[in-house]
Amino acid sequence: MVWQVTPNRTGQFKIPAAEVEVDGKKYSTEPIEITVENVTAQPELQERLYARVQFDRQPVFLGQTAPLNVVLFARADFPLYGLSGFQVEAEGLGYRHLNKVRSESRGINGVSFNVVTIEGVVTPTRTGKLAFGPAAIKCQKRVGEDWFGRVQTEDITVPVDPLDIEVLPLPEEGRPADFAGAIGQWNLAVTAKPTELAVGDPITFTIKISGTGNIDTVPAPKLGSLEGFKTYDPTTKTTKDDLNTSGQRVIQQVLIPKSTEVKELPDVRLTYFDPVAKAYKVAMQPPIQLMVKANSGGQTEIVSGGSRLRPEEKLGQDIVYLKGDLGPTAATIPFYATSTFWMLNIIPVLGLFGGIGWKWRRDKLRGDVAYARRSRAAKSARKLLASATSYDEVQHALQSYLGDRLNIPSGGITASIVDEQLVPRGVNGELAADTKACFEVCDTVRFAGGDADNGVTATREKVERLIDEFEKKQL
Amino acid sequence: MSLRRNNFSQQKPGSRIPKAVCFCLFLLCAQLSFAGTTSDFRAANKLYDEGKFPEAAAAYEKITPKTANVYYNLGNAWFREGKLGLAILNYERARRLTPRDPDVLANLRFAEQRLGVEDVNTPPRAIQRFLHSVVVSHTPTEWGAFELVALWLTLLAVAGCIFLPRARTAFLVVAIIGFLGFGASAFALGYEAITRHTAPQAVVVIDDSEARFAPLPESTVHFKLAEGTKIVIREDRDQWLLVERADGQQGWVKSDAIVPITPR
Repeated sequence: MVWQVTPNRTGQFKIPAAEVEVDGKKYSTEPIEITVENVTAQPELQERLYARVQFDRQPVFLGQTAPLNVVLFARADFPLYGLSGFQVEAEGLGYRHLNKVRSESRGINGVSFNVVTIEGVVTPTRTGKLAFGPAAIKCQKRVGEDWFGRVQTEDITVPVDPLDIEVLPLPEEGRPADFAGAIGQWNLAVTAKPTELAVGDPITFTIKISGTGNIDTVPAPKLGSLEGFKTYDPTTKTTKDDLNTSGQRVIQQVLIPKSTEVKELPDVRLTYFDPVAKAYKVAMQPPIQLMVKANSGGQTEIVSGGSRLRPEEKLGQDIVYLKGDLGPTAATIPFYATSTFWMLNIIPVLGLFGGIGWKWRRDKLRGDVAYARRSRAAKSARKLLASATSYDEVQHALQSYLGDRLNIPSGGITASIVDEQLVPRGVNGELAADTKACFEVCDTVRFAGGDADNGVTATREKVERLIDEFEKKQL
Repeated sequence: MSLRRNNFSQQKPGSRIPKAVCFCLFLLCAQLSFAGTTSDFRAANKLYDEGKFPEAAAAYEKITPKTANVYYNLGNAWFREGKLGLAILNYERARRLTPRDPDVLANLRFAEQRLGVEDVNTPPRAIQRFLHSVVVSHTPTEWGAFELVALWLTLLAVAGCIFLPRARTAFLVVAIIGFLGFGASAFALGYEAITRHTAPQAVVVIDDSEARFAPLPESTVHFKLAEGTKIVIREDRDQWLLVERADGQQGWVKSDAIVPITPR
């Protein structure tokens, strides 16, 4: 059997001996004396909700980046819902913190606490005794739920006691001449590829700096002499953690050896102050040996215009000088606004459509006999009429016209065609009568004979009029 | 022969001589005018060389008609005088006449860089930048000539397809290429012509010109226009112009602060 006791006041207490009888025999324990004292060393337990500053790097050096956390303790039975803000005065300390907090449960002297940590760092920008705080954490206390099950909260401000931080200047004693402000614990690594190459070939020279501290304070390391190399601007890539307490910087530079006399890459040196060791240190990498051969053209050094390569030339910038002649005069009216432009646009379109029409007609004349005869009917008939001097020729012209128009053999056409072909096609009245009369006149004169001179001319003119009428009617 | 004689006799006596004289006089006047313009141009260049930039600019301004080289030299004179907005305006005018002149393009870019308006004057979208660079690479006259050549080529190739069916494939390829060329040049010509008439461009010649929400002096300032900024004029109302920046922002600006690229 196990009992747990919790004192609720200070003083001397005695737990008396316990007795138990087993098979008529009595067994007893020794009495236990307990002293309960006031716990002054653990004031946190006096409250259910409080905050403290955790900082274990006293004193710090100017420019050093040191972690500083603000911790909120909430007893397990306190209904802490969340944090809504954090305010602090920390002038000269360069304090910054993460927006995301870290939460955990922790037992302190037998009591369970929810612990919320605001992680941050200080990077002092001036020396002396600087105050961190006063500060305050805004919390939300859960007070219940509404009708809809939504959590109801109450805002509480938890004060944080100020903390004095002593900031020391960087020691003057033992400060190297080439110290440029790097603070932390840094390592240096150097690589070069390739190390065996020809004159004029590029080498990628890589310097890697990594370690703890503020990487932003680390300058480019000092290089030895680069004489004998053509150099290009280096590229730098920096990575760091969220609070900038550790990081890495990779510097890459392309170097081109200008002659076979180049034997090594320069040494690399980084001087920094180590705040833990409280001393200046130097990270150094020795020169990397190179094997530079003559290039494929047999050149043992790069030359340009008969002389050695000179530093890259920087060209000046200005406007280009005046023009010396007037140049061509522009048209006052844009070409697209002239009638010539539009005519030149329209002509080919019309030409193409005209050509297509001509081809269509030509193909039709070749392939469609009826169409071909109908098309040339009037023309050929008029031609015949023009040379007609007898009734026979006039009648032949009329027969030819009607035969072509109606696509029938013209030799056998007589006056009967009027009733057989023309009337059904809508030729009535005077035109039909005149046509019939023409045939009759021609037949009469041809077979019976008679005065022809004036009659032929009149009949010919009459046939011409008939042809005109038929053309108008689109027979 | 008699017919010829009759024809001669029907003409008014001496009617050919005045025409010939008129033509010669016209040529003479043109020649004299050109000689005068050239001497004015050289005189203006001399003033420039002597460092008298305002006088040189005034002399260039007087020359008519203005060629691309006159606008270019005028731009240089304003540049040296420190009026970079006017310099950009005249370089732009020169570019419209000779769009591929490397000197004009170099000076225009340099002046825009000096004023920091290179980005502002560049269309924001990639497609707009591409279209703009294509359209302004040739003058409207050149686009018109391309359009005509492409049209004739297309229609001749179509005619070839119809009338010479044996070579139909070759003609079809030519017709398609010609049609694409016709479409592109007609688009560029149309774009140029329409924007010139409906959305004339202008250049801000006074630094920090205020574009307001309304054409009133007491109206709220919407944004400010840096000298050398190219804008589009949307509306003209008395002393105020509604202008649009390349990013689409619109505002009313006093008309004396901007000058249209196409001279009025």
